[in-house]
Amino acid sequence: MTPTPTASDGLGTLAGQAFAAYVRGDRQRLSELVDIVTPVLWNAARSQGASPATCEDAMQTAFLQLVARADSINEPAAVLGWLVVVVKRETWRLARGSRREIGVEDVPEAPTQQLDPEAQTILTERQRVLWQHISSLSPRCQELIRVIAFADRPDYAALATSLGMPVGSIGPTRGRCLQKLRLTLGSDTGWAV
Amino acid sequence: MSSHSEAIDEHDVVNLRSVRDLFAHADPVPSDLTERMKFAISVQALHAEVAELIDSALLVTRGRDAADAAVEPTPTDSVTFTAASVSVMVSWGVSDTSDASGTGGPSGTDERVRVDGWVTTPGAQVEAVTADGSRSATSDANGRFVLDDLPHGPIHFLVTDPANQGDRPVITPTIQI
Repeated sequence: MTPTPTASDGLGTLAGQAFAAYVRGDRQRLSELVDIVTPVLWNAARSQGASPATCEDAMQTAFLQLVARADSINEPAAVLGWLVVVVKRETWRLARGSRREIGVEDVPEAPTQQLDPEAQTILTERQRVLWQHISSLSPRCQELIRVIAFADRPDYAALATSLGMPVGSIGPTRGRCLQKLRLTLGSDTGWAV
Repeated sequence: MSSHSEAIDEHDVVNLRSVRDLFAHADPVPSDLTERMKFAISVQALHAEVAELIDSALLVTRGRDAADAAVEPTPTDSVTFTAASVSVMVSWGVSDTSDASGTGGPSGTDERVRVDGWVTTPGAQVEAVTADGSRSATSDANGRFVLDDLPHGPIHFLVTDPANQGDRPVITPTIQI
C-alpha cells in the first residue's frame, strides 16, 4: 500500500498497467487500480478544503467516469493524472453546488491546508513542528507537497501538471516548493535530527 | 547550499515521507473507502441491480467477553439479500481448512472462512468478491452453493443466471465476514 520512493516504477506506471489490463478485459485489475490511486486522490481532493463526504463523492464520480469512458481514454499510462484532474474538478463542482461540469480553467487554486482541530490534537510533537513549516508555504506549494508525498519520485512531474502547476515546477529537479520545504525545515534547529 | 534546480535527493524524499506520515495520520483515507469505490464501479460496469440487505441474524451467540470468546464455538452469522429477480441467503463460519494448518493459537489472520448460501435460482452463478480476488460457485438444483477458503474482511456477491443471459446481474452490498 505504501509507495516506496526507491521503486523504479512510480504509482503512475503501476496504475497505468492495471488500467491497460482492465481495458483489455481483465476485470479484476480495476480493483488493483483503485487500491493504488486512492491515497493520492484522497489527498488531492482533501487539499481543496472540501468535506470528507464531498471528496468521497468526487472520487466516486471520477472512477465512474473512468469506467464509462475507458475505451476512449487514449493513454492508459496517464490514468493517474487523468483521475487527479477529474477529482480536483469534481471536488470544486460539488463544493460549489454547480450542476454543470466545470472546465479545468475554472478550477480555483487550492486554499491554505487546514487540519481539523481534533486532528491537530493527535499529532506528535514532531508532526506539529512539521505542520507549522508546511503552513508557512504558499497554498500552491502546500497542495503540491501534500499530493506528491503520497506518490513516487517518477510521478511528481505529472502530478504537478495535473494539479495545474507549470511544467518543470518539480521533477526531476527539486523545484521551488520542495526547496522551500527543505529550507524552512533546515533552518529549524529543533527539526534537525 | 542547495538549489531548486538540483535533482531531488534522499533528503527531499525523507521530508516528503514525513509529510505523508503527517497527513496519513491527521486525515487518513476512510478505512472502507476503497471498498465503496469498487462497489460503485461494479454496479455501473455490470449494469447490475443492487440487492437490499434484509436481515442479519446472529445464529450462534458469541461469548460475552474476550475470555469466553476464545472457548466459544465458531460464531456463525447470516445475512439475506433480496432483489426483484432473486434472493440470496448466506451464512458463514470458520473454514475447516483453517484447522488443518492451525497450531492452536488464537484465530489469526490466516484463518479462512466458509460461506454456505442459498439462492432462489437453481443453476445461478454466484461470485464472491473479496480482498483476495473473486471465487465462483454454481447453485445446485435446490439453489444451494458453497464458497470455501475465503479471507476475513469485506465481501460482496454477484449473482448471474446463465440460463437467462438477458437478465441484469444482481450485486449485493458489501458485508464483513
